[in-house]
Amino acid sequence: MAQQVKVPTVGESITEVTIANWLKKDGDVVKMDEVIAELESDKATFELTAPQAGVLRIAKAKGEVVPIGTVVCEITDAAGAPVVAKSPEAKPAAATTPTTKATGGVKEMKVPAVGESITEVTISTWLKKDGDFVKLDEVIAEVESDKATFELPAEANGILRIIAKEKTTLPIGGLICKIEIAEGGATAAGPTTSASTAAPVAGDKTYASGHPSPAAAKILDEKGIPAAQVSGSGVGGRITKEDAAKAQVSAAKVDANKTAAASTPPVISSGGGRNKRTEKMTSLRKTIAKRLVSVKNETAMLTTFNEVDMKPVMDLRSKYKDKFKEKYGVGLGFMSFFTKAVCVALKEFPAVNAQINGDEIIYHDYCDVSIAVSTPRGLVVPVIRNAESLSFDQIEAEVVRLATKGRDGKLSIDEMQGGTFSITNGGVFGSMLSTPIINPPQSAILGMHNIVERPVVKDGQVVIRPIMYLALSYDHRIVDGRESVSFLVRLKELLEDPGRLILGV
Amino acid sequence: MQYNVTVIGSGPGGYVAAIRCAQLGFKTAIIEKYDTLGGTCLNVGCIPSKALLDSSEHFHNAAHTFKEHGIDISEPKANITQMIKRKAGVVKANVDGIAFLMKKNKIDVLTGVGSFVDKNTIKITTKDGKETQITTEKVIIATGSKPTPLPFAPFDKKRIISSTEALELKEIPKHLIVIGGGVIGMELGSVYARIGSKVTVVEFLDNLIPTMDGTLGKELTKVAKKLGMDLYLGHKVTAVENKGKEVVVKAEPKNGGNVVELKGDYCLVSIGRRPYTEGLGLDKAGIELDKGKIPVDDHLKTKVDNIYAIGDVVRGAMLAHKAEEEGVLVAEQLAGQKPHINYLLIPGVVYTWPEVASVGYTEEQLKESGRAYKVGSFPYKALGRARASMDLDGLVKVLADKTTDEILGIHIIGARAADMIAAGVTAMEFRASAEDIARTSHAHPTYMEAVKEACLAASANRPIHM
Repeated sequence: MAQQVKVPTVGESITEVTIANWLKKDGDVVKMDEVIAELESDKATFELTAPQAGVLRIAKAKGEVVPIGTVVCEITDAAGAPVVAKSPEAKPAAATTPTTKATGGVKEMKVPAVGESITEVTISTWLKKDGDFVKLDEVIAEVESDKATFELPAEANGILRIIAKEKTTLPIGGLICKIEIAEGGATAAGPTTSASTAAPVAGDKTYASGHPSPAAAKILDEKGIPAAQVSGSGVGGRITKEDAAKAQVSAAKVDANKTAAASTPPVISSGGGRNKRTEKMTSLRKTIAKRLVSVKNETAMLTTFNEVDMKPVMDLRSKYKDKFKEKYGVGLGFMSFFTKAVCVALKEFPAVNAQINGDEIIYHDYCDVSIAVSTPRGLVVPVIRNAESLSFDQIEAEVVRLATKGRDGKLSIDEMQGGTFSITNGGVFGSMLSTPIINPPQSAILGMHNIVERPVVKDGQVVIRPIMYLALSYDHRIVDGRESVSFLVRLKELLEDPGRLILGV
Repeated sequence: MQYNVTVIGSGPGGYVAAIRCAQLGFKTAIIEKYDTLGGTCLNVGCIPSKALLDSSEHFHNAAHTFKEHGIDISEPKANITQMIKRKAGVVKANVDGIAFLMKKNKIDVLTGVGSFVDKNTIKITTKDGKETQITTEKVIIATGSKPTPLPFAPFDKKRIISSTEALELKEIPKHLIVIGGGVIGMELGSVYARIGSKVTVVEFLDNLIPTMDGTLGKELTKVAKKLGMDLYLGHKVTAVENKGKEVVVKAEPKNGGNVVELKGDYCLVSIGRRPYTEGLGLDKAGIELDKGKIPVDDHLKTKVDNIYAIGDVVRGAMLAHKAEEEGVLVAEQLAGQKPHINYLLIPGVVYTWPEVASVGYTEEQLKESGRAYKVGSFPYKALGRARASMDLDGLVKVLADKTTDEILGIHIIGARAADMIAAGVTAMEFRASAEDIARTSHAHPTYMEAVKEACLAASANRPIHM
């Protein structure tokens, strides 16, 4: 008996899904409740399980966008199914072969549709090398879109043949690699007929794969490209001079030798290079670039400043930080004070927490606070949800969790979307004062800075106090000067007298 | 005058560095203490010793192998005056060549002792005491090395001599005692052994050429004995005395035993060379020596930012070709390039006959590091080419990684070894496996076939001609 498998209703507003990945192949025997595919909506990824045991018959290919309710596959009762015999690789035969057995099939792996607005991805890292034996579902590469980094699992068992090298950008559906389908696992391909040991076979990975020739080594060093990032075309995967010369996309035509040999004496450098390096922009960097410029162009952004005497907060913190750590397991930082103060102020000045949507203004009765996190890939802004209802320790824990994920490139798109207000702390890098850029479609962003001891006048006396300058960049289209300035003044009041945070006064 | 780069010393490290600097567009000066350029290598080292080695080899052939070849001549006589004269001609042609190259590359040659006034100023003092000063952005020190004397018997340059004097002898020694069985001792010892001297070598360690693979030392011992040399291995020299017409050397076995007393007319002390930095005024530049050497980082930079040092004055083997590579490296670095030296792959060569040459790890080093390796050897005796020329002494030994088959070391003793090793160095630069060479066609009949056969033996124990 065959059962049709349809796309389930996954959420209120979701009308269609993309078949992100088939985890089972056409003709595979699947068990009940086994995950057979991954579906992706514009909001989330979810798994499709087999409603019964049997033989899988795929109806909709990977990458296809299908409405809810569409039949994506059929599962035929194993007993009543003649398909087993038709299956190209008879299982019993494969099972008895202990070593690698090429089946002749080649699986082409293409860029899966990873999200609504994503049109291209960049291969950030190959975790497996060309010629490696990969297992089904084993992660073989890391792929980066402008929103997130995700892992690419092998779609078959077999020998990996890389098509798209690291740092290449592919459109959705672009060919990433091929897998020469083979059963078994050992890499010892080919029969061992002669006594000859370890004969390097062109194309296969050998001990010398990635070894640059002397000339290639010099070129790579000068370009600052590690040999590991270059794929060698020489015998046994060696990196030839040509490989090194091409290792840079737009390798500036200026040959270092020629420049140096020019008739005018060059400037002497002490062993320090004067070479330029051209690198492809990552998708993330491209998006950042595009969005930042559009904010500047499309909003009426300006910045207001104030200063905060941090002594009360610092005193409170040093008094309770050990106890806090002991009780909650997270350190008491400044972020929780600022986030809480921001939430109080946002309630009082809702325009700062609002955003423009066409001809309408959306006001938020909650505070989803985006925090800017610097990562090796660029700036990301994960969101602390409902910050207004979180306690100090919950905020601190959330900051640590999001920052760690950000640094590891593990943040999901969900975790980065939907903030209503942003906080950025340039102070961790030593910034005294800055004018942050709004994180659209939000209307304001708070810039924290370093804390410096400055002479200030208190009650007619010059005293030394730890001062932090605050900056609020806001969209003047919906936030008036009175609101933005008052917002900052309110923050100042709350932070200079943290007791007000508790009382809400 | 103001220069971009000033090189002190014009040996193979210095003059090559200067040429490369000039090629890269720097205004370059080179300072040389002696009247001729080229340093030890060209004046009193590699080139003259090779000239004498060739003369002595011709003589040896005339005396021993011509008859077998079917060339009948009357008893040949060695004319050392002519040999030295010819050698001088060879040296002159070479050093003149360097002078020409300096001119061609518009490098200013400043003759005199160069010494630092400060890190950017160098004073040059000529023989007659005239002083001039130049300023320079960068300095490359390439002052080389000098023979090390025995602490208890300084060179008197008459009976107790260094390699420099051994290349200028007016007579063929009746009995030459060589202290130190390393490269220089064996090269010059074999020169005089071939032209009729009785030669005795005293070496403290248990092997000749002790820094090289043990097999080479053993083979060289056989060859030396065949040539009639007396070898006292494992002997410590305790006294060397110039008695006017003769020199007396006393040595005792280092593990105990009877003292040996040797009497000869010359004693060549070749126990090593030491870096030469006298008169350089390093203190003025702020550089301190470490065990006689100038400390440098991986870029051959001293602790003073604009001063570099290369060749025998720094760490590493004292070899002309090593100094040359370093000269090029520094020059290119100054131009912002990033060249590279793989010190493991600087070949070592001994110009005895047969020659000795090697590159990579020795078998002793591999054993010590615990690396699993395979050995393949092939003797010259089994080689058609060697039989044709009657150069049957020697062998090629190839060491390869046991699992990957990557060549880890090539050690050759035999005719043309010094030229052959270059192919091995190239292969190793590309991390070739023994089978790679074994599968590469080698012209027949050549000496290089021995390398191919040794690689066949190393990779899968399947030499064809054994």
